Amino acid sequence: MKAATDTTPVARRDPATVMRLARLGSMHQSRLSFMRVLTRRMHRENWRFSRPNFDIDDNGVGYAVYCAHSPQNTYSLVAFAHDLPVEKRSDRVIAQAWDATFTLFDGVPDTDDINRLSQNIPLQEAGRVTQNELSVSRANRSVRLWEHVVSSLCAGQQPDRQQVAAVGYLMRTTAVYGSGKLGAADRELIADRPEFAAPFQAEMLSVFLTRAFVRDLVQHMADARGGARSVKLDPDIARAMGIGNSTGLGMAPFILNHPQLFNNWILAREEAIARVCNVVTASTDEIALFHELLARTVLSVKLWHTEHPVQLEKLASLQADLAALKTCVSATDLTCNHPWNRLYLWVENNLGIDAQECLASLMLEPYGYLVDELETHMADNTANTFHINGAMPIDQLSSLLQKHYYWALDIDWNARKNYARAWYVSAEKLEPRLGERFKEPIANYEQPLAPARDAARLFASLRNWPAESTLAEFLLHHPEHRHTVRRVQIISHAPYAEIRDNTISADMLPIDMLRCKLAFFGATHFDPRSDRWVRICMYANAPYPEELSNHDADYWPYPQLEESGS
Amino acid sequence: MSWGLANEAAYCIRWLSAFELPGPTLLADLLELNDGLTMAEVSPVSLSGTWYGAANRLCPVITGAAMSDNALQLQSGNVFVLQNITQPLLLVPFAGSAALFLDTPVAIKWQGVSLTTDGRVLSIDGDQETLNVEFADTVACTVEASLADRINPIVRGELDDACKKRLSVFANRTFAPATEESRRLGAG
Repeated sequence: MKAATDTTPVARRDPATVMRLARLGSMHQSRLSFMRVLTRRMHRENWRFSRPNFDIDDNGVGYAVYCAHSPQNTYSLVAFAHDLPVEKRSDRVIAQAWDATFTLFDGVPDTDDINRLSQNIPLQEAGRVTQNELSVSRANRSVRLWEHVVSSLCAGQQPDRQQVAAVGYLMRTTAVYGSGKLGAADRELIADRPEFAAPFQAEMLSVFLTRAFVRDLVQHMADARGGARSVKLDPDIARAMGIGNSTGLGMAPFILNHPQLFNNWILAREEAIARVCNVVTASTDEIALFHELLARTVLSVKLWHTEHPVQLEKLASLQADLAALKTCVSATDLTCNHPWNRLYLWVENNLGIDAQECLASLMLEPYGYLVDELETHMADNTANTFHINGAMPIDQLSSLLQKHYYWALDIDWNARKNYARAWYVSAEKLEPRLGERFKEPIANYEQPLAPARDAARLFASLRNWPAESTLAEFLLHHPEHRHTVRRVQIISHAPYAEIRDNTISADMLPIDMLRCKLAFFGATHFDPRSDRWVRICMYANAPYPEELSNHDADYWPYPQLEESGS
Repeated sequence: MSWGLANEAAYCIRWLSAFELPGPTLLADLLELNDGLTMAEVSPVSLSGTWYGAANRLCPVITGAAMSDNALQLQSGNVFVLQNITQPLLLVPFAGSAALFLDTPVAIKWQGVSLTTDGRVLSIDGDQETLNVEFADTVACTVEASLADRINPIVRGELDDACKKRLSVFANRTFAPATEESRRLGAG
C-alpha cells in the first residue's frame, strides 16, 4: 500500500502480497462475509420466522420444521433429532449416524415430503434428495457442553458462562452440502433469486436456522429432565453460542478448483479495503464505531480458545499486536488525511499479518454504504470459463506465465521437499487426502491440485516451441497442460485467482486454505486440531430469528463488552 | 485422458444431458473404445486442411477441444472438416463453447444431421438414430447466422445405472487404494 495523495487514489493491494497462504490463512470475517450478507438482508427485508412443527420426544428423538419467510419465498429447515450411541459419534465424512440431521426445503414441506425426508436425511450420503431441497447437513453435540447446559437448566440454574465460552457451541456441523449434492437443487436453479445471488446463502440460512433448533432442543431436553424445576436459558448466554463446524481436507481443493469464483471473493474484499483507504475524512460516529469494534475485537480474541501450538502462537502475537494497535489508534487523529490508509500503512509496517488482516476487515465496518454493494460481485455466473483461446501465440502465454507465475518458476522443483506431498482421493471412502509422495504409493493417483508445479512444467514445455506457434498447436501435442493453460488465461483477467504458494510442499498447511474460505463464510474462532483439520464457530453472538428485527443484525460478530465471559 | 481433457469431457456430457442427449453413454463408448491408446493416436495430425487421426480415427473430445481452441478461425469463414470421427455428437458442446466465445451460432453437420447452437440453446435437424451414431465419415463445423427451433436446456439430467457402472470403471482408476500408512498420514 502506498500513502494516499490528493491526486493518486490508493490502489487495491497487489496479488503478490495478498495471495500468500500465510496471509490467506490469517483472514478474518468482514462485512462481506456470507453470513453477514444474509443477516443484513433478512433484517433489511424484515423476514419473519415460524416453527410449524416441533415433534421431539423426551429422549430427544423426532423432527422439527423452522420456516424463514422472505418477502417472496419461504424456506424451511427440516431437522431430525436422533439418539446417537456414543461410539458412533464421529466428525469424519465417513460417519454413518449423527446427533441431528437437516435439510433446507424450498417452500413448506407437506406430510409426504416429511415422510420422504425422514427416510433419507438421517442417512445423509446414503440417502438422496430432490430439487426441492437446497441443502443437506448434519451436526453432532459438543458432548461436554451439552451435558453441562442440560444439567444446569434442569436444576434451575444457568450454565456457567466460562464453560460456555470455552467451547462456544452446543452442536457442530460436520458438513453442510448444497449445489446439487445428493440430488439437491443445483445453484443454477436458485441463483437468480435475489436472496441467493451472493455465494452460499442457502447454506448460511440453513446454519442460521439450525442454531435456533439447537437452542430449542437443549431447552426441550432440560425441560424433559427437570420438569417444573427447569429454567429457560438466558437469552444472552444463548446468543453467545454459535454453531460449530469441523472442517477437514474436503474443503481445501475448492479454492483451487474455482479460480474465477475465488478471485471474485478476494477482489470484492480488496476493492472494499481500497475504497476505505481512499476515504479522506472520517466522521466522529465512524471513528467512535471503529474504537468500539476494536475493543470488542480484543474481547473476541480473549474468548478465542485453542490448544494447537501454531494457533496459540498466532493468538499471542495477535493479542500483543491488537494492544499495540489500540495504543496507536488512541494517539492518532483519525479525522482527516486518509486516516484509514495511514492506519493500515502503520499496521503493515509494524504488526504481523494476522493483525493486518484483522484491521483490514475492521476498518470496513463503518463504511457499509461504500462496501456492502460489493456483495453482488462475489458470485461467479459466467457461462464460459472453460474456453481456451488457442489463437494466443506461445510467446504471449510464456509472458503471462512469467508475469503471474514467476514465483512458481523460481521454486526448485528438483528439491524433494518442494514436491513431497500429493493430493489424492482414497478408493476406500472417496475422501480427498494429502499424502506423503515418498512414503505412500499415491503418485500415480495424484489430483491436479499443484498449480505451481504445473505452471513450471508448462513453462518448461513451452520453451521447446517456436514463439509464434499457436497455443492450439501446442495443446494438440500437449493435452496434459490444458488445465494449467486454462488457469493462466483466467488469471490474465482475474488477478486474485491463484494462491501464490506451493500446495505440494512438505511444509504447506492445509488449514491456511480452510481458514481463508471459512473467513469468507463468516466463521470466527478458528481452532486447528491438526495441520489439516479445524474447528470454527458460526453465528456466535448473532441474533436468533425472532431477535433479528430489534437486535444488531450487522455488528453481531463482535461480542458485547458488558457480556464479558472471561 | 489427462485431467484437463477429462474436465472438458465432463462439461461435454453435462451439456448434452441438459438437452436430453445421451452424452454419458457416448462417453462410456468412447472411453472403452480408446482404452489403452495414446491420445496422440486419435488426435488430429494437423490443424490445417481436413483433420484426420494418425490411426485413421479421431477422438471427439480432443478434436472438439482443438476445434474450440481454434474458434477464431471459424470467424473468418473457415470450415473445419473432420474425417472418421467416433461419437460425433460429443463434438457439439465444444461447438457451444466456440459459439459463446465468438458470440455467434456454430453448427456441426454430418450424414444428414445438423446441430446448431449459440452455447445456450440448441437446434436439431435430423433423426434420433443418426444423432447417436458411433461413427461419422465426415463432419463439418461452421459458423451460422442464426438458429431456428430452439431447444432450451433442462436443469437435471438422467444417468442410468448401467452407464454409471461403465463410467465408474474409469473413475475408479483415479482413486488410490488405501493402506494403513495412508490412512494414518492423510485422512482429514
